[in-house]
Amino acid sequence: MENNPQQAAPVSVDVPLISNQSVLMNIALIKQYHENMPIAQVEPIVFNALRRLNLEDIAYKRNPDLNDEERFFAMLLRAVMVRDALVIIDRPFKIIPHLKNIDNIFQALKSIEDLYLNCHIYDYEWMREKYGELSK
Amino acid sequence: MVILENIGRAVIRLIKSFTDIIYFAWKILIRIFNCNTYTSAMRTVLTDQIYFTSVQILPIFLIVSIVFGSLLIGVLFLQLKQLGLTQYIGHVLMGFIVTEFSPFITVLLITLRSGSAINTEIAVMKVNKEMSALEAFRIDAINYLLVPRVINGVISIVLLSTLFSVTLLGSGLLFSNLIFGMNIDAYATVLLNSASFSDIVVALLKSVVFGFFIILIPIRFGLQASHELTSVPVVVARGMVNVFAAVLTIEVLSLIIKLL
Repeated sequence: MENNPQQAAPVSVDVPLISNQSVLMNIALIKQYHENMPIAQVEPIVFNALRRLNLEDIAYKRNPDLNDEERFFAMLLRAVMVRDALVIIDRPFKIIPHLKNIDNIFQALKSIEDLYLNCHIYDYEWMREKYGELSK
Repeated sequence: MVILENIGRAVIRLIKSFTDIIYFAWKILIRIFNCNTYTSAMRTVLTDQIYFTSVQILPIFLIVSIVFGSLLIGVLFLQLKQLGLTQYIGHVLMGFIVTEFSPFITVLLITLRSGSAINTEIAVMKVNKEMSALEAFRIDAINYLLVPRVINGVISIVLLSTLFSVTLLGSGLLFSNLIFGMNIDAYATVLLNSASFSDIVVALLKSVVFGFFIILIPIRFGLQASHELTSVPVVVARGMVNVFAAVLTIEVLSLIIKLL
């Protein structure tokens, strides 16, 4: 992985948000830790990303206060904060079980496409119909 | 034979637990003195931790130190007067209150409040797979989570035990005036004459060691939680018992160092 210019950035039910930190701090953590960016510098970046998904109001909420969609998009934004991110979405319908199809997620990925290099979605074969055109 | 076997097993377990904690302490110490540990993320956690441990506790801590301290100083001074040992008032204040009593009470308060909270927090993070989440994003849990908490323990204990000492010396001023009719100049002179530099150094070092271990041990036991929720109370109980054993051990060791 270290020789790969793309850095794996997982979005998975097995990679949860840190529950004693707000969404803002969870997303900011990646740049604070890996790029040593001061919080004052990261905050506008995080708010800009949240604004693109119309989620500014969740910035100061913690994991238990989020609904499934908010939690998924917070995890997605955390993943795209990784430099040269290869976003790996693992079974998205496990994180948002009531979602009918992938359209919502696909739309969100489009609106932040400049923030990551590549995105792979992994799911079970029997979930194929939820992906519609994408699965063909 | 069975008794001997059980004793042997218990001793081996004790030695293993002790060496584990010392090895873990060594790992944390190395990180504390490594500049690369101090990332922006780590500094944010450190600031939060100092706020939770040292600032949030201030109102209750001040109330406890004023009420409990005044009571203790009042009783102590009355006893000194009755026994005709007024000349030892300075030694009692500096030798007992500042160097022994203040760090000990501060450690007990912080252990009960923050030690148990940190033990539970780390165990719950382990159960919730949040540690694995950090790993998935290549974030070192020792640098990000553990080192700031341990440094916070050291800073908080040193600052709060100093505050406790100052509050008690303030009570001492009041009671020395009420019981012995001492004015502020006489009180200050008595304190300065009784103050020994080595005592203050030992008290500070003791606070540093206390702060380091009362946070390190709960963290160590918190990390031993499995992915089952039922493991949380087990590791918290084990961690708190060990932290109290460590407090007593450090207290005894500091006494031995003072006697040497």
